[in-house]
Amino acid sequence: MNKTQPSVSHRFNRFGLISSVAAILVLAACGGSTATSGGLGSGPLLVGVLAPFSGADASFGPRYLAGCYAASLSINGAGGIGGRQVSCQQFDTKGEPADAVPAANSMIAGNSNLMGVVGCTSDEASTVVPILDRSHIPMFCMTGQSEFNKSTAKYFHRLVPADSFDAYAMIGSALFGPGHAPYKSVALVFGDDIGSQTFVGPAVAALTKLGVTIAINQAIKLGAASYRTEVAKMLLTKPDVILTETIGSAGTYMKEVKQQNGGKVIPFIGTSATIDPVWFKQVRDAIGLPDFLANYQAVDLKLTLSGSGYDEFVTQLTAADTKFGGSNALTYKGKSPTVHLYDGIIMTALAMVAANSADPTVYNPKIIDIANGVAGATVVSTFKEGVDALKAGKTIRYVGAAGENNFNQYNNSQQGYNLVTMDKDGNEVVLGSLTQAQTQQIIDAGGGA
Amino acid sequence: MELYVAALGFGLISASVIAIAAVGFTMQFGIANMINLAYGEVMIVCAYVALYVNQRGVSVWASMIAAALAGAVLSFVLNRFLYAPFQRKGTNLIGMVIISLAASLILANILLPVVGYDTSSYEVDQGPLLRWYGLVLTTAQIAIIFVAAILMLAVHGLLRYTRLGKAMRATAANPTLARNCGIPTQRVIDLVWLLTGALCGVAGVVAGMNSENFAVASGAAYLITIIAAAVLGGAGQPYGAMIGALIIGIVTELSAAAIAPEYKEVVAFAILVAVMVLRPQGLLARRGALAAAG
Repeated sequence: MNKTQPSVSHRFNRFGLISSVAAILVLAACGGSTATSGGLGSGPLLVGVLAPFSGADASFGPRYLAGCYAASLSINGAGGIGGRQVSCQQFDTKGEPADAVPAANSMIAGNSNLMGVVGCTSDEASTVVPILDRSHIPMFCMTGQSEFNKSTAKYFHRLVPADSFDAYAMIGSALFGPGHAPYKSVALVFGDDIGSQTFVGPAVAALTKLGVTIAINQAIKLGAASYRTEVAKMLLTKPDVILTETIGSAGTYMKEVKQQNGGKVIPFIGTSATIDPVWFKQVRDAIGLPDFLANYQAVDLKLTLSGSGYDEFVTQLTAADTKFGGSNALTYKGKSPTVHLYDGIIMTALAMVAANSADPTVYNPKIIDIANGVAGATVVSTFKEGVDALKAGKTIRYVGAAGENNFNQYNNSQQGYNLVTMDKDGNEVVLGSLTQAQTQQIIDAGGGA
Repeated sequence: MELYVAALGFGLISASVIAIAAVGFTMQFGIANMINLAYGEVMIVCAYVALYVNQRGVSVWASMIAAALAGAVLSFVLNRFLYAPFQRKGTNLIGMVIISLAASLILANILLPVVGYDTSSYEVDQGPLLRWYGLVLTTAQIAIIFVAAILMLAVHGLLRYTRLGKAMRATAANPTLARNCGIPTQRVIDLVWLLTGALCGVAGVVAGMNSENFAVASGAAYLITIIAAAVLGGAGQPYGAMIGALIIGIVTELSAAAIAPEYKEVVAFAILVAVMVLRPQGLLARRGALAAAG
């Protein structure tokens, strides 16, 4: 009996050893990354595009993916991050918090080589930001929710202003915009989802304080088959202008406005999210191009859209076109989400190079250093320029495709608003911008950010 | 008051669209014993088939025929090559529901790379606007109501006055007995899939016209209302589905007029829940078109 025990134990140990070695080999083969606190490691890196690719906000995902493709091509073309090639993968949140959580968890669990995440719209940011932050994954989120105005999540970054600013800018467009007298009666037509409704509170507060009549405040169910009764109700209030977003449903709504209003379209002002090829096509097809051009205005973030950083972005976006399935990546070349997330990924990549680490706890703080710069920093506009400057021992400031970034202590950075419209091809046309005094008047009326 | 009259008219259009779809859906359940969650996606596939034809200069009304054919063929194929083999193996109803859900996802994901994420819309002349006591309807919308009425009458005629209809009712009531009485139940079920598939195809086009635009994601949204109408009327009962569609269509629009639009579906589904509590079998169970032939 005593003789057999060691023998069994010995065999067990050998089996255990072989199993352990095999497991380590399998894990090493599967992982594809070696994230350590020192050195950039080896193997491919992944950027997760965590966003709606289906559901009412399905149009959001592709524009973020386009930015990621362009950034990965720019990085890989310059030799990668310490030789590591970057790729993009979409993770569909369906625009629903309940679907976003498993999508985020499976993305994290299945990809140890995740260098960063982009996307996380207002539909899902509240649920996925804490998950990503706990997992120490740097993220650039396209949410305007005010809960992130003073975010304490270290790995959260936002290159777009709070939705309240979008709402204020829309009111600015209604009151001070070009080509029309100040509108006196406003209809608010937004989706009943979290993302859309974040505009409404600040807009109602500011409009009320500024003495503008809110003809009607409609929260409509996005994706509904029709809005005829809602439109009939809205038309009875006779607004001068409609402030709206209604992603996915604007075509249906505006077509019914035209039908029931004797063929006349009421002027409508969209949020920055409406500066989108999908939105443009939907509404143009619904009401016709002449009516679209005559009645549509919107607000958009102030973007430079010029210079070597933007040129590099357009070059890589053009190259990415072949990877982009049925859509045309180039339609996103002037779109702020695409441009901003491209910049976010480039800044993350440069932060890794600057920190000489693939450990996000080490390179995450560098992102803001590179975005804001320090005194004497060399301004770079592309990943390659940044890597070259870092190799030369310089500190850098990245002024990218969208221009300068200035993060505050809550990792928020924004550059003000333009008043815009779109031309017959859906390209953005800047009509003007709000003065600082006008902007401040509305912000004060709305109770601040 | 004008608003409520208008809402009633709008409710009739919505009800027409829902009825065409819900009757097909409920017949698949009543006769083929299949809760087909891929129904919404088949509608969307057919809507895109019609779009393809419409974009080549054919009127949307004629394109409806192509959609009906596509729906018939696709539904027949789905049943013959996916659902029927599992049913023959004795897969239970829940298992079949999961399989149909998988079919729905497969169809959506096959369609997505082909048509993209963008919404699409038909080239359709809405015709002059007709106003009557607060009702504001386009000629195309009135035509949709007529199409629905004709199809509902056709379904009624088929089930009540034809040998095939009687065979369908017999198959729905007791397939084993029907088979023993010499009714070729397999052929009957094949025909049910072809006919309901055609209804599904037409429903896809009118839903697309009604919404002004549609996308791959629209299928899931349509399905919820279709199921609600079918269940409200009595699962498996075509007449019940017609009544369910009418109630849901009109109630949603009237509640949008009376309360706030974000509650319109809440009101419709509250009625559904109330009916399910008071009459779990639905409004027309045991008295519908698929009740045993007598």
